[in-house]
Amino acid sequence: MKESNKVLTKKDITYLALRSFFVVIMFNYQRMMAPGMTFMQIPALKKIHKNKEDLAAALTDNMEFINTHPNFCGFLCGLLLSLEEAKEDRSVIRGVKTALFAPLAGIGDAFFWFTLLPIMAGICGSFAMSGNILGPILFFVVYMLVFFLRIPLTHFGYNLGTKSLGKIGEHAAIISRCASIMGITIIGGLIATYVSLGVSIAIPLSEGFTLDLQTGVLDLIFPHLLPALYVGLLYYLLKKKNVSPVALITGTFVVVLLGAFIGIM
Amino acid sequence: MEITLMQGLGLALLAFIAGLDFYLEAFFWFRPIIVGTVSGMILGDLTLGVICGGITELAFAGLTPAGGTQPPNPILAGIMATVLAHTGGLGAKEAMALALPFSFLMQYVVIFFWSGYSLLMPRMDKYAREADTKKFYTVSIASWVLVGVVYAIVVFLSAYLAQDAMRNLISLMPEWLTHGFEIIGGILPGIGFAMLLKTMLKGWLVPYLVIGFLFATFIDFGNLLPLAILAAALAIMEFNKYNDQKKAGLAVGGDNSEGI
Repeated sequence: MKESNKVLTKKDITYLALRSFFVVIMFNYQRMMAPGMTFMQIPALKKIHKNKEDLAAALTDNMEFINTHPNFCGFLCGLLLSLEEAKEDRSVIRGVKTALFAPLAGIGDAFFWFTLLPIMAGICGSFAMSGNILGPILFFVVYMLVFFLRIPLTHFGYNLGTKSLGKIGEHAAIISRCASIMGITIIGGLIATYVSLGVSIAIPLSEGFTLDLQTGVLDLIFPHLLPALYVGLLYYLLKKKNVSPVALITGTFVVVLLGAFIGIM
Repeated sequence: MEITLMQGLGLALLAFIAGLDFYLEAFFWFRPIIVGTVSGMILGDLTLGVICGGITELAFAGLTPAGGTQPPNPILAGIMATVLAHTGGLGAKEAMALALPFSFLMQYVVIFFWSGYSLLMPRMDKYAREADTKKFYTVSIASWVLVGVVYAIVVFLSAYLAQDAMRNLISLMPEWLTHGFEIIGGILPGIGFAMLLKTMLKGWLVPYLVIGFLFATFIDFGNLLPLAILAAALAIMEFNKYNDQKKAGLAVGGDNSEGI
């Protein structure tokens, strides 16, 4: 047990929950919530990692792609910070993070966007439509409560992490292995769901008969063939050729806009 | 009724705050029911704002940014529905329909931010690597405030200065450009995944990558939960294997620590 490492107080965790206000800051298609997750954890990470190199390593890890539900990010960060505090191996922390963010996103989207919002819109909207100010007021109050729900959720995540620390330390290798399996399986699925790429080229074969390259050829070989090839190519360029991400992003912009301009995408 | 300069500025301030909130999805002040009501207050016709906000809210309940897709903009819909009902004396439903082009225009602006901020990621990586938290804060806060400012400008122009010109703007945008940005939005996550794979993927993990990809390719699911459950099942298989091996290895020691 490494209890002596404990530096975060209850106040720090509450502060973390309030900082989750910023979790979607600088949201972008490439990393989604990574800048925000990093942003909200900075004060806590600074407190944990007095050594600048450790801090840099933690920040760099947090800049990797992540997309979860804003209301659960406090829970996730609380859990992760308990691991950071115990100076767990970086690969364990990263594995736990990658394994958990997508399930939390799934639960969060299903509950907050697809259940709570239609209910609230239905109730408050119909009040409002008859000119009743109660509609917007009720809406306002409920969503403020939902936001402050992040405080207990964050404490819950942190406490859950500290309680299971002993177990995690003892089984670090297998936990890291299982977390990697979960993370990679989910990334595989995310590639198929989040990345969409197609071509719109129709080849006229004969009078009145054209072959659509996307639906007539590529989809028959394999649905999502192009997204898979695209990610594979990027991976190859990043890993083996050491191409910088900047070049990849710029290249993507140029190729896509060109393709859209001449009408093949 | 005409909109005064003060009202125009008031609506711009509302758009600034709601725009900041929408980017962070924090307080839900960006929903049509809230911005419509506040617009009504600013225009001196609270009830009209409540009604327009309520109708737009119902119409927009199904349009959500879940999973990183950008819906037609709820803020512009709520504000402009109220503004158009107020200035043109229209019914709330008609006003909402006329507000849609403004909502689409802002949708593209946000997509533009979501694409554009991808370009800043290497810079943020550098700050993270150098543990330069000051610059990290400065750039991310600036990026956030910029979004609010753009909202304020668009609403000020749409509501006060140049309603017609703004409505035409959306039809003037060449289709290849808007289509191009849609495609970019669709493939940029690929770079994020490739970078994640660069650090996480090891040879023995490749089968799991393939399984996840195939599962999501051939099974249509509404959210990521089924995928997560599949992933958990695979992880549990690995864990069971580890337990079995441990039991076999430590059988003499009478290991009884596992309770999961």
